[in-house]
Amino acid sequence: MLQKLLAIIRKESLILLRDKIGLLILFAMPITLILVMTLIQDSAFKTINEKGIPIVFVNNDKDTLGNTILNGLKSSDFCQVSTSKDGKDFTFTTAQKAVANGEFLIGIVIPKGASTKIRNNVSDLVAETMALDAAIPSKKEAVDITLIIDPVAKNSFVSTITSNLHEFIAAVKTQMMFQSFSDQIAEILPEGTNKPAKANEKTDIIHYKEIYGSALIGKDVPTSTQHNVPAWTIFGMFFIVILVVGNIIKEKKEGSAIRLKTLPTSYLTMMNGKIIVYASVCMIQFFIMIAVGVFVLPLLGLPALNLGHHIEAILVLAFFTALAASGFGVLIGTLANSEQQGAILGSLLVLLLSAIGGILVPTYVMPEIMRKISMMSPLNWSLSGFYQIILRGADLSGIAFNCTLLVIFFIITVFLSTIINKIRSKS
Amino acid sequence: MPDQNSIEISHLSKTYKGNLDPSVNDVSLIIKENEIYGLLGPNGAGKTTIISILCGIVKSDQGKVLLNGIDLANGNESIKKFIGVVPQDIALYPSLTAKENLAFYGAMYGIDKKTVNERATIWLEKLGLTKAANKKVESFSGGMKRRVNLIASLLHEPKILFLDEPTVGVDVQSRNVIIDLLKEINQNGTTIIYTSHHLEEAQDLCTQIAIIDYGRILAQGSPQELIDNVEKASNLEDVFLHLTKRKLRD
Repeated sequence: MLQKLLAIIRKESLILLRDKIGLLILFAMPITLILVMTLIQDSAFKTINEKGIPIVFVNNDKDTLGNTILNGLKSSDFCQVSTSKDGKDFTFTTAQKAVANGEFLIGIVIPKGASTKIRNNVSDLVAETMALDAAIPSKKEAVDITLIIDPVAKNSFVSTITSNLHEFIAAVKTQMMFQSFSDQIAEILPEGTNKPAKANEKTDIIHYKEIYGSALIGKDVPTSTQHNVPAWTIFGMFFIVILVVGNIIKEKKEGSAIRLKTLPTSYLTMMNGKIIVYASVCMIQFFIMIAVGVFVLPLLGLPALNLGHHIEAILVLAFFTALAASGFGVLIGTLANSEQQGAILGSLLVLLLSAIGGILVPTYVMPEIMRKISMMSPLNWSLSGFYQIILRGADLSGIAFNCTLLVIFFIITVFLSTIINKIRSKS
Repeated sequence: MPDQNSIEISHLSKTYKGNLDPSVNDVSLIIKENEIYGLLGPNGAGKTTIISILCGIVKSDQGKVLLNGIDLANGNESIKKFIGVVPQDIALYPSLTAKENLAFYGAMYGIDKKTVNERATIWLEKLGLTKAANKKVESFSGGMKRRVNLIASLLHEPKILFLDEPTVGVDVQSRNVIIDLLKEINQNGTTIIYTSHHLEEAQDLCTQIAIIDYGRILAQGSPQELIDNVEKASNLEDVFLHLTKRKLRD
């Protein structure tokens, strides 16, 4: 049995090594994809993660409201605020033009006198409440803050900005209200008593502290490298389907398959030999791709791949991914009747499973329904496993479920291949 | 003279999926040990299907096959160890050398590396392929490929050898070498079942012949018996045309 398996492994290895074009595709294609896709997507990821959402801010108010919002946005991680260009402050018109040109995703215009209007409204409200002069009716003046939105800006970005604006305005209103109350009370109280002072500073009593579940990079949203390297590595590993299919179809076409049926060696042993070779190739592919992520991408000014602290978990996940990919290749190869059929079926299925599995576009930007569908793709089981390890610091136990799914997928593909082969042999 | 049955076929039938007519229709025959048995017939007569059933590639719909007394239906795996099959197509890996191909097929029969190497060297020499042993099969001529194709089936020294048109598309020199080799291995105790369109070659090689058409056996016997049974026939071709008529086949 072992002798037969070793002979099959030797035969498959020799055939594979002599297929220079096949090998080139197998290794060059995913490396190219990693480099190109990471470079292309880097700026998009940076927009969200590093530089923040580009915002043009027109502060016509130049008072409490405008300054509070401006300082608030400037101190935020997800915004990159600009108030001037070439030494000139943005106006409503220039800001609108800049957003239209795509320089900024969002523009915010705070009108002149906005703080005064709010202050007056608050004073009137406080006076009315304190009933110092019930005869004076309150005059409410509206404050119109304008948002200029680039059509390509996602709704989620706009929602983030508007909710932040609401927060800043509410904070300003509260401060003003306290100050007004404090002033009114000071007027009522007799001389010599402890009058409230700097009441507005005491409104800032609730603080938010942001901490991340992971001790690693601290974000669930990966960088372009952390998405692209595992994603395209998995894609490349599954692309082995094309070579496995080609190999099986060639055997059928060239007549070797006929002789193989007459040999005292089972179909399962034959397929196991193929799987060992192709899974090993997948592992070699994996190591090369990871090396590209760690060592080559930084040379191009891209972030280096951070593998986290559980290399053993990465290796185990890569091994099960390699098995799943090879098993899938054997199934498609058994199903297909011609090289063309196998190549089309194999590449389309890998592409489809990649698309729904979050390889081409990360699942976190997919709609809810697609996120559910993506859970059916073995590429997604593998990719989410890698995310667990490199983004959330998961160890072997953290990816046990992903590995189990990949193993079940592998067993099913090999089992189905054996059944299909048996049925076809009988007909 | 051989007296033990090597192959016993009774009432064998096979109709492929989607076909109305059977490819093999109630065929019964007995092949004695150490015979060279020729299955002759026009294209589509059912020769390849019979051979495919006998070597376990295709399952029959009906009938019983005994190979060296073992029922094919129950002992397919044990039978595979003592049969050799030379398919009509070249069943070799083109990107491997002749020796690499033979090493692989030898290992699949469970023969140790050293023995495979020794046997391969002997057969390659006998068939004039020593110089080409380490060259890729894809660079070989049709005749060379056929010869390696034959050796791949001989490495485990089979008791029964099935050959489906082993000399198709080869030059006279290659054909002669192959035929001489078949005679030699038959003399060493191997029963040979062989299909061919070369009637002259079959007449020279076979001890027994069955002429098949439309999945049925039309006649069987030694070449001389078949010739004697047809009036005015002087060779196997006359017998063949008399039995299968002159109508063209697909």
